[in-house]
Amino acid sequence: MEFHQPTTLDDALTLLAADPEALPLAGGATLVAMLNAELIEPSALVSLGGICELHTIEATPEGGLRLGAMLSHATLASEARLTGGNAVMRQAAAQIAHPAVRNIGTLGGAVAHGDPSSDLPAALVAADAVIEVAGPSGRRSIAAEGFFEDYLTTALEEGEMVAAVILPPQPESAVGHYEKFARVHGDYATLSVAVVLAMASGKCSHVRIALGAAGATPVRVVAAEARLIGSSLDAGAISEAAALLTAASDPVDDVRGSADYRLMLVPRLLTRALAAAGGAP
Amino acid sequence: MINITLKVNGEERALSLPATRTLLAALRNDMKLTGSKNACNQGVCGACTVLLDGVPVNACLVLAANVAGREIVTIEGLGEGGKLSPMQQAFVDAGAIQCGFCMSGMIVSATAFLAENPKPSRKEIRQALSGNLCRCSGYVRVIDAVELAAGRSGA
Ligand SMILES: Cc1cc2nc3c(=O)[nH]c(=O)nc-3n(C[C@H](O)[C@H](O)[C@H](O)COP(=O)(O)OP(=O)(O)OC[C@H]3O[C@@H](n4cnc5c(N)ncnc54)[C@H](O)[C@@H]3O)c2cc1C
Ligand code: FES
Ligand code: FES
Repeated sequence: MEFHQPTTLDDALTLLAADPEALPLAGGATLVAMLNAELIEPSALVSLGGICELHTIEATPEGGLRLGAMLSHATLASEARLTGGNAVMRQAAAQIAHPAVRNIGTLGGAVAHGDPSSDLPAALVAADAVIEVAGPSGRRSIAAEGFFEDYLTTALEEGEMVAAVILPPQPESAVGHYEKFARVHGDYATLSVAVVLAMASGKCSHVRIALGAAGATPVRVVAAEARLIGSSLDAGAISEAAALLTAASDPVDDVRGSADYRLMLVPRLLTRALAAAGGAP
Repeated sequence: MINITLKVNGEERALSLPATRTLLAALRNDMKLTGSKNACNQGVCGACTVLLDGVPVNACLVLAANVAGREIVTIEGLGEGGKLSPMQQAFVDAGAIQCGFCMSGMIVSATAFLAENPKPSRKEIRQALSGNLCRCSGYVRVIDAVELAAGRSGA
């Protein structure tokens, strides 16, 4: 296996374009575990660690944040600029696995891997993030909601990479919250609910909700959000919104919980998440 | 084969290894530093935890070639001049060690954690060590040990 350590994104893209069997190496938390288990046999690895651009966090002209793909989960978990609605990202990153894995795993690796039971995809959809993709024919931007296409399948085309994630400025009074339910601290979620919520004079003025581990991709239902907007987040409104989200979910049965159990968690975790985001009556 | 150097426990080490070699395999097989253990090779158990530039990582998830030039501290590097480090001594004194297999990872994780949070609660200690599994399941005294080390360094 060849090992490349490019220092620019363009060099990385050229290396990937030249060899369809090559894989980008980010943190390696998933990739190296797969190599160790002999599940993959790439012809080459293109390490992204030496590419400075991928390690930066910058404010965007719109008032949001651009997060480089190689930022570790630990870095995101302690990033003070992830406040207000965008705190949903900080909270999700802080609940990934254990300290040592959070020091290794990266934003771009998690996004590219597209595991529906991982924590960042749902948070990205709730935050209405945009994935900045770099490829042989330049850069393109894809809304997180459309980026995750199926189980471990994303909108990335051959030779493309995740360069950054762009978080928009959230509504003024928005609060983000990531509610993760796992069997034990540090496990993958049995179910999770990511919300960005804003209240104005006791009524919900903005809400975006995405469920993790509820299907092959993060689950978002516009009608469920519409049911909550304008309401005081009373139990009736939440239960109707939860019913819409439950109907759109198609979770798996696995060691972390049966599909039925996961569906039962939807209303409970949604209630908790909205309350934690400041929607408590 | 790839030629790299690593700074391991303060010493420069020159190595020639295949790109697929993990840091854990390089430590254990190439450098004969067998204190870091290989239990799952999947990032799940924490027995291979080492410090990479001061922060704990699972050495089984890191490719050695990818950390060329960087600084590694293993369990062998915690003590000085043949003496146990304060954390190692606290684990002994608290009676935290059973078979010992998970202990190098536990102690490396706990050392990094206490440096960052010198007065932790028991809950914080549990969370900090949540990635370190003990098959002998003696967790209570592990937490006691970290508390003991915290108390001693505060004294
Ligand atoms: C024990 C353990 C527990 C975990 N628990 C959780 C958890 O609770 N929640 C959670 O969300 N996650 C969890 N994870 C996943 C982990 O945190 C990482 O998010 C994940 O490993 C991917 O990040 P990485 O940087 O390690 O990517 P890598 O392993 O380096 O790469 C993963 C895949 O993405 C590709 N890739 C990497 N970067 C890019 C890029 N920029 N562009 C295009 N392709 C790219 C690689 O080629 C590879 O196919 C866990 C992992 C382990 C080992
Ligand atoms: S051997 Fe590395 S985490 Fe288990
Ligand atoms: S002491 Fe035996 S595995 Fe922890």
